[in-house]
Amino acid sequence: MQQASGRWLAWLGVIVRLVVGGVWIVAGVIKLPDPAESVRAVRAYQLLPEAMVHAVGYGLPFLEIAVGLLLVTGLGARIAASVSAVLFVLFIIGIGSAWARGLRIDCGCFGGGGFDADATGKYPWEIARDLGLLAGSLLLVRWPHTRLSLDGWLLGPSSESGVASGD
Amino acid sequence: MATKKDRKATERVRAMQAQQATAERRRRTLIVGTVVVAVIAAVVGIGIAVQSSRTGPTSGKAPAGVTSDNGVLRDGKTAPVQVVVYEDFQCPTCKAFEEAVGPTLAKDVSDGRIQLEYRTVAFLDRASTTNYSSRALATAACALDSGGPAVFTALHDLLFASQPAEGSAGLTDGQLADLAAKAGASKQAVVNCQRAGTYDGWVARVTDDASKAGITGTPTYFVDGKQVTFSNSEDPKVTLTTLIDAAAAQQ
Repeated sequence: MQQASGRWLAWLGVIVRLVVGGVWIVAGVIKLPDPAESVRAVRAYQLLPEAMVHAVGYGLPFLEIAVGLLLVTGLGARIAASVSAVLFVLFIIGIGSAWARGLRIDCGCFGGGGFDADATGKYPWEIARDLGLLAGSLLLVRWPHTRLSLDGWLLGPSSESGVASGD
Repeated sequence: MATKKDRKATERVRAMQAQQATAERRRRTLIVGTVVVAVIAAVVGIGIAVQSSRTGPTSGKAPAGVTSDNGVLRDGKTAPVQVVVYEDFQCPTCKAFEEAVGPTLAKDVSDGRIQLEYRTVAFLDRASTTNYSSRALATAACALDSGGPAVFTALHDLLFASQPAEGSAGLTDGQLADLAAKAGASKQAVVNCQRAGTYDGWVARVTDDASKAGITGTPTYFVDGKQVTFSNSEDPKVTLTTLIDAAAAQQ
């Protein structure tokens, strides 16, 4: 019984890794060509001090791509999923606060950013999407040992049932 | 008798092996984790360095003829009521507004009722395959420097009239120089200025300054320092003229 559910979880984890990791890679790569736009998108939230805006605007897309690649390949899955979860929490706070303050900005999640007349209607969907991806990330934090992962290849099976012992 | 003893010994060996395997696994997990964290940090650090080197300088000398806010007054005219607009030559909504309210505002300028300051920015480089937004603004700066605000004004109107579609390559630098010449600038001066990249830094600077000033999109209009809020239910021309009339009445 436990073995069957463990096997099922290990495969579900693969799908979650591919979906969440894929989203991160796309989101990061789209932002790379125009770093100045990325900085403006960060600034539009009016949350970070000017001194931090450039580092976040330039660095965040690379962090997104790194986390995405780690999740897709299943290398350091628990660490990558933890970073992923933290980022989603921060994004949800950012979008929620923009909404609460009456700002009308494109979230800049997949490039773009800045003023968006229709932003208020989009915020709930963006937050719902990020909540879903946060749930996926947390699932991987709890059960990081999945099939078809570099972790499994490098570390060997974690226990006889093939499921995480959770270390 | 011996079998019982053997079994116990085997169990002990198995337990030790399991313990070793767990320890080995823990050791490898630690190594992988450390490497992963180090790689993430390195990738982000290198990324920040690469992107900041790619953005080029956000400084550089301003063209002659700009206001203290790096704007350009339409036809160089001043008037008591001050209208300011942040625009991007690649922005379709700006073009729509130019068509809707441009002629009215131009008439108010020539009547001496308002002064109209264009604060042009390059937010939309990604909307073309050739950074058209920045190139068009750099050309306008070149034309301003060599021809003055009247030439800039004529070029401004021409640029919106001939705005390229989003996602296209836009006009070439040569075509932009032709437009500048049509607006009254010296084509040779503009071409030289484009090639030297004389105002590339200025373009990046004014764009950054607008973003720092809280301008998140274009067009953004101000009448006497107050940002104009347009509604879907009202003709933007009515919205603007009402505000301008009110501001004129206060003078």
